[in-house]
Amino acid sequence: MKTKQILFGILVILIFLLPWFNTDLQNNYSIPKVSQEDITFFEINPCKISIVQFMTSNVESIYQNHFYFRANDKSSMKCFGRITGVTVIQGDELQTQFFISVGTNPLINLVLQGLFWILILSLVPKSKNSLSNYKFKNISIFLVSYLFTYSVYAESRYYEASLYEFNFASLRSYFLIFLAFLLISKNLIDIYHLRSENIINFVPFIYLFTFIFSGFNYSFFAALFVYLGLISFFNGESKSKFNFIYISLSIWWLINSNGSFYFNVGKLRGFTSSVYEFNANFSWIIFIYFLLLGIYKFYSENRQRFKLELFSKNLSLTAIMMMLTGIMSSNSPIINFYNYYFLGLQRYGEEKNTPFAFSEDVYELKISWRGIFPSSETVGEFYGLVLLILLFWIFKSNKIRTIDYIGVIAASLGLYFSDNRTAIVLVFIFSLIYIYLILFKNLFNPKFMLFLIAIVSIGLLIFLLNDNSYKFISNSIISQSFVFQYDSIYSSYLRLLNSGQETGSLFSSVFGFFSMIAFFLNRSEMWGLFFARYNPTFMELLFGSGPMNFGQLYGEVVINNPESFLLPHSSILSLILFIGIIPLILLTVMFVYILILNKKNYEFVLLSMYIITNILKNDSINYFVVFVFYCLLYLLFKNNSKKTIFR
Amino acid sequence: MSIVEEVCGNYPEGFKKADILSDPNYVFINDPNYATRQLFDAENNKVFVNSFIECEHYVSGGWGFNPLKNSELIYQELFMYVVIFGIVITFLKPKIIEFIKN
Repeated sequence: MKTKQILFGILVILIFLLPWFNTDLQNNYSIPKVSQEDITFFEINPCKISIVQFMTSNVESIYQNHFYFRANDKSSMKCFGRITGVTVIQGDELQTQFFISVGTNPLINLVLQGLFWILILSLVPKSKNSLSNYKFKNISIFLVSYLFTYSVYAESRYYEASLYEFNFASLRSYFLIFLAFLLISKNLIDIYHLRSENIINFVPFIYLFTFIFSGFNYSFFAALFVYLGLISFFNGESKSKFNFIYISLSIWWLINSNGSFYFNVGKLRGFTSSVYEFNANFSWIIFIYFLLLGIYKFYSENRQRFKLELFSKNLSLTAIMMMLTGIMSSNSPIINFYNYYFLGLQRYGEEKNTPFAFSEDVYELKISWRGIFPSSETVGEFYGLVLLILLFWIFKSNKIRTIDYIGVIAASLGLYFSDNRTAIVLVFIFSLIYIYLILFKNLFNPKFMLFLIAIVSIGLLIFLLNDNSYKFISNSIISQSFVFQYDSIYSSYLRLLNSGQETGSLFSSVFGFFSMIAFFLNRSEMWGLFFARYNPTFMELLFGSGPMNFGQLYGEVVINNPESFLLPHSSILSLILFIGIIPLILLTVMFVYILILNKKNYEFVLLSMYIITNILKNDSINYFVVFVFYCLLYLLFKNNSKKTIFR
Repeated sequence: MSIVEEVCGNYPEGFKKADILSDPNYVFINDPNYATRQLFDAENNKVFVNSFIECEHYVSGGWGFNPLKNSELIYQELFMYVVIFGIVITFLKPKIIEFIKN
């Protein structure tokens, strides 16, 4: 049995390694070392030598961090794993940088990455009682694949840059994509059926494996939730109120889908639309609907199997492995490339191998380090969550395991490296509050609450009585917006703010308070930039313009562009853009109501507050893994059956 | 887009197709404004053309093959068969296992 397993292991490793040995066997090349002066060999012989041959001839490319291996998705199948070109660039510090382009055909990526991730998921132990087959299993798998194929059609402008010899007008081409995804989704769902009870405890690993196909704007793991969403829909399990609201909003979003605005997905790849158009909007509306249903079904089917002991252990393991892979990625260009490919990252891992570094200017600020995650701020949030959940676990279980020690060290280091100061402060304050609550047992202890309210009120009064500083701070967003406003072109929202400020309306006062929050969160510039761009009609302001769509925001109004591309830096602002203020107010009321209902569930209250504070000032929910993780965490820690998950 | 436009570029304004076949002494004149193109036939033979009229003539006569595109299409076809085989195996897996056990 053991020999069989070893042979199987070797076979699997060979299957995933062999493509990188793909070379032109008809000729015998003498491969030179790349140098600043001469890269002619690679210009004359594109797609001739394998990445492995390149490495053996240029051994320093494995460990010297001025080499950068980059996946070239618009490559032929024949070119997979071969060097398609080398570019020499003079870097910022006059260092010569070599960009080595490696052929990675998207069709092969679908199958190779998909099968690799299926293998990874098969490492999760099987359930004792495997899930019985759903009534609509096969039709749902077909629909999942169809939705994926439709997304390729809807976002063809994005895929033109990555699909090689793909005729967007031919059904045959789409059929090929459909078949490849059908193979992957069928295997994924079979794996899930055998392991559904245990997968919920292994969810933290989605921070390590982001599961985004190279060359695609789609996540492999999303297929599972969309599948569960379809099953839930066919079984009539979806809530009628939610259906009514979502369908009503969808009709408005689709009617409103005029124009065509392209958006460079960048690090949000896998969970944002690349174009604001009817088809793309339709595709994302359907995707988000089934994703939400799927997440809820996944939670409701498996919540009884949730074990905090195992979950917290996996959180620690994930934190440790993220640190290790991040450090390896930043020290070896080739590991960075393979991490990107096999972990399915949205963006290449950090290239700076100095996580303790400070800037060399007069301010000497800590330079953020993100490891393998696309955003340092978001990964900081994750490490903060790990610390909080480990704290809850240790206090509730009254035991501390070796893995907890290592997890705490890895998460603390990760949090420090990420330089997410809000997360650092929140973890510190919430830990103190939690320890206090454990001792006094009541969050809404009247004395404690009065004490807190008194402190906050006195602080606020002192601040507000100082009229000049409040005036300055309440104008922080609008003054920043004017910095980015171009010529005499105003976004509709900026015009509204401007007129509100002149007349001194209530709206202006409310926005002034919002500006004050932005000022203290160091977000005046980012949010000012958002409002300089935000150009909604009245109805768009109320009901948004469609989920996961930044195209309209970034393409509609001309502004003085900042030096680098900047996202809104607030998930709340993203939500205003996507769903509008009325659904957002409804969600807020629901959130507060649930919070009050669960006030005795301290862990839930603190985690919710931690998440909401972070998403207020960060784009977290625009990352697929973060969105899924926060939704599940919120549902799992919510005291639905009047019991906390710790009892 | 026709195959001629795909390979040779857009038709020049006022283009008139010359009756080349009926004139055995016809000589193609080089167009200095036209970038030289390499054409292939079904057997991978190569020819260089130096004007749109020459390119159009060759492509209409069957020299519109692109070896890179052709090889990619062959690979895609092969890929499709492999994937279909995988799908069939995946869907029939329980029955295959049952058959082997019996």
